[in-house]
Amino acid sequence: MKKTIHVSLFLAAVVCLSGLAHSAPVSKGIHVGNAGAFTGDAAAPCNEIFNSAQIAVDEWNARGGIQGVKIEHVMGDDAMDPAQGVNVAHKFVADDLMYGVVGPPMSHIAQATLKIYGSADLVTITTAASKPELTEQGYKHFFRVNARNDAHGWNSALFIKNYLKAKRVAVLNEKVAYCENMSKETLAGLEKLGITDIMQETIVGGAKDYSPVLTKVKAFKPDVLFFIATTAPDQAIGVRQAKELGIDAVFFGTEGARDKKDFIEASEGAAQGAYVYHFAPDIYSIPEAADYVRKYENQYGVLSGFGPPAYEAMNILLSAIDKAAQDGDISRKEVLQYVSQTHGYQGILGFPITFDPKGDLAGGATYFFQVEGQDFKPITVMTGQ
Amino acid sequence: MELYWQQLPQQLVNGLTLGGVYALIAIGYTMVYGILGMLNFAHGEVYMIGGFTGWWVLHLLTRNNEILMNAALVIALMLIIAMGVSGLVGIMAERLAYRPLRNAPRMNLLLSALGVSIFLQNLILTYQGAKVRTFHIASLIPESFRVFHIGSTVFSFMRTLVIAVTFLLMALLTILIKKTKVGKAMRATAQDIEAAAFMGVDVDRIVVLVFLIGSALGGAAGTLVGLLFTQVDYYVGFQAGLKGFTAAVLGGIGSIYGAMLGGILLGLTESLAVTFLPAAYKDVVAFVILITVLIVRPWGLVGERIPEKV
Repeated sequence: MKKTIHVSLFLAAVVCLSGLAHSAPVSKGIHVGNAGAFTGDAAAPCNEIFNSAQIAVDEWNARGGIQGVKIEHVMGDDAMDPAQGVNVAHKFVADDLMYGVVGPPMSHIAQATLKIYGSADLVTITTAASKPELTEQGYKHFFRVNARNDAHGWNSALFIKNYLKAKRVAVLNEKVAYCENMSKETLAGLEKLGITDIMQETIVGGAKDYSPVLTKVKAFKPDVLFFIATTAPDQAIGVRQAKELGIDAVFFGTEGARDKKDFIEASEGAAQGAYVYHFAPDIYSIPEAADYVRKYENQYGVLSGFGPPAYEAMNILLSAIDKAAQDGDISRKEVLQYVSQTHGYQGILGFPITFDPKGDLAGGATYFFQVEGQDFKPITVMTGQ
Repeated sequence: MELYWQQLPQQLVNGLTLGGVYALIAIGYTMVYGILGMLNFAHGEVYMIGGFTGWWVLHLLTRNNEILMNAALVIALMLIIAMGVSGLVGIMAERLAYRPLRNAPRMNLLLSALGVSIFLQNLILTYQGAKVRTFHIASLIPESFRVFHIGSTVFSFMRTLVIAVTFLLMALLTILIKKTKVGKAMRATAQDIEAAAFMGVDVDRIVVLVFLIGSALGGAAGTLVGLLFTQVDYYVGFQAGLKGFTAAVLGGIGSIYGAMLGGILLGLTESLAVTFLPAAYKDVVAFVILITVLIVRPWGLVGERIPEKV
C-alpha cells in the first residue's frame, strides 16, 4: 500500500514537471538543436545540413533574433549510431530552452529517437529520412521536408500521364525492395489515372544483358519505357540496348541514373532525350535559392544537395517559434502546433511546403530531368497533384 | 500470339549471341574436366580478367574518344592480348595451384580452384576497384554502320562480330583437336592420362596446353562480352562462370562438342523463355531443363557414357 502511494506520488510529480517545465519566457533564451552524424562516414552531408541551418539562424539573428533574443544553434552528434542518437535526444529534451530540432537525417536514428522526442513534444523536422513507416506510428512531433520513398511512385505516374502524355507504358523493375516498391506504387498510380495498357516485367541487376526482355518490350510498342534499376551502369546498358533494338519509346530512368559519368557518358549518345526522376532539386535553377547558394558557397564551399532542405527546415522551425513567442513566452506544445499548421510555405525548394496530418510533406516532391548534351536539364517538379 | 512470333527472330539472334559466349566459357571448363577430372572454379575469373584486359587495351588505344589506329586492328589486338593474358593466368594457376595437388584427392583440387577464384577476384578488386568500367565503343564503329535490319530483326555490328568470332574460334579448336598431332595427344590424355604417358605423350605439356587454350577462349569471351554489353567489373566472372559451367554439364562435361551445343542451347533457352514467360522465370527454365537432362541422361546431351574406372 505504502509502495503504491510512493509510486503514484512519483508519477504525479513527473507529470507535473513534464507539463510545467517546457514553458518559459522568451527572454531566458532560445535554443534550436541539430541532430545528425557530424563525424564518421556521413560527416560531409550532415555538416552541409548543419551549415545550411546555421545560415538560416544567422539570418534570423542578423534581423534581431526573435523578440530581440538571439537564437542559439546546438549541434548533437550521433556519429550514425542509434545509441548515441538516443543520448543526443535525451540531451536536447533535457534542455528547457530547446524548442525544436532539425534532423535526424537518417531513418534508423529517427526511428530510435521517435519516442524520446515524441514524449517531450519536441518538434523534429528531418531533411532526409525517407522511410515511410516513420510517420505511420502516430507521433505528432515528427515532420519532414523531404518526400517519402513511396511518394515518388505516384509522382512518376503523374509525370508519365501529364507530362509525357503516354497511353501505353512498359515498366521494367529490378527485383530488389526499393525498385519493386517503386514499380508497385507507379503501376497503382497509372491505373488510378486511367492508363490500362501496361506491361510489367522484371530484370536482374548487374546482368549486363537486357536484350531478351527489351525485345519483348519492343513488341509491346509502348510510348514510355520506365526502367527501374538501382545503379547508373545498369541504366546505361538499358538505354543503350533499347536504342540498339530500335525501341522508340521515351526512356525514363530512376534517380540512380542521374549520374553524368556512368549514365550519360557511358551510354555514348543513347541517353540523349531520356528522362530521370530525382529526390533533390537542381538548386541552381531556382531563383529564390540564389541568395542562400551564394552565402553557402562563400562560407562553406561546394554544395551537394543535402543543404537546401535543411535551410528550409530551420526557417520553418524558426517561423513557428517566432509565432509562439508573440505573447512573450514559448512552450514546446505551441511550437509544435504552429509547425503542424505550416501551409503553402514559400521557401527555396521551388514549391510551396505544406505538412499533412501525419507530418509528411504533402504530395511529396519529385524532380524530373531530361538528358541534354552532357548534362541533366531540370524539367518539372511533381508534388502529388 | 502474333506478338510472340514477331519477336521470335530477334530472340533467336539474342540467344545465339549469348549462347556463343556461354559456349566459349563452357569449353574451358569441359577441357580441363576431360583431362584432370576437376572443376576449375577459377575459370569465371579468367573470363573476367579477359574482359578487363580488353578494356585496358581499348582504353590505352583511345585518346579523346578517338581510337589511334584502324578499328579492326584495335579489336584484333584487344582479343589477342586478352587471350594471351587469360591464357597466362590459366597456366600460372595450373602450375602453382593445381599441379602440386595432381595426385591428391579430387576434393583438394576443387578447394584449391575455389581459392584461386577468390584470390583472382580480390586481386582485381584491389587493383581495379569495384567501379564498373565502360567500353567506349562508339569510336570503333561508325554510327551508320552500327545496326542493320533484316525484316524487323535488328542485327548490331557487335552481335554479328561476336557470333562470327565465337564460331570461328570453335571451328579452329575443332580442327586442332581432330586434325593435328597435338590434338591426338590431347584426346589420348583425356581418355587415359597414364596410358597416354606410357605411350610417350608428354602429359604435363598437354595439361599446360589445355589450360592455355581453355583460358584463352575464356579471355576471348570476356572481351567479346565487353564489346557487346560495354561493361566489365570485378564480379562478372561469378555469373558467367556459373552459366558456362551449366552449359558444360548440359552438353556433357568432358565433351568439347557438348560444351558448344550446351552453351548455345542455354543461350537460346534463356531468350526464348523470356518471350513466352515473365522474365523472372528465365533462369528457372534454364535450370529446369538442366535438371531434366541430368535425370534422363546423366552424362549430358553429347557426353559419353563411360564406365567407372576401377
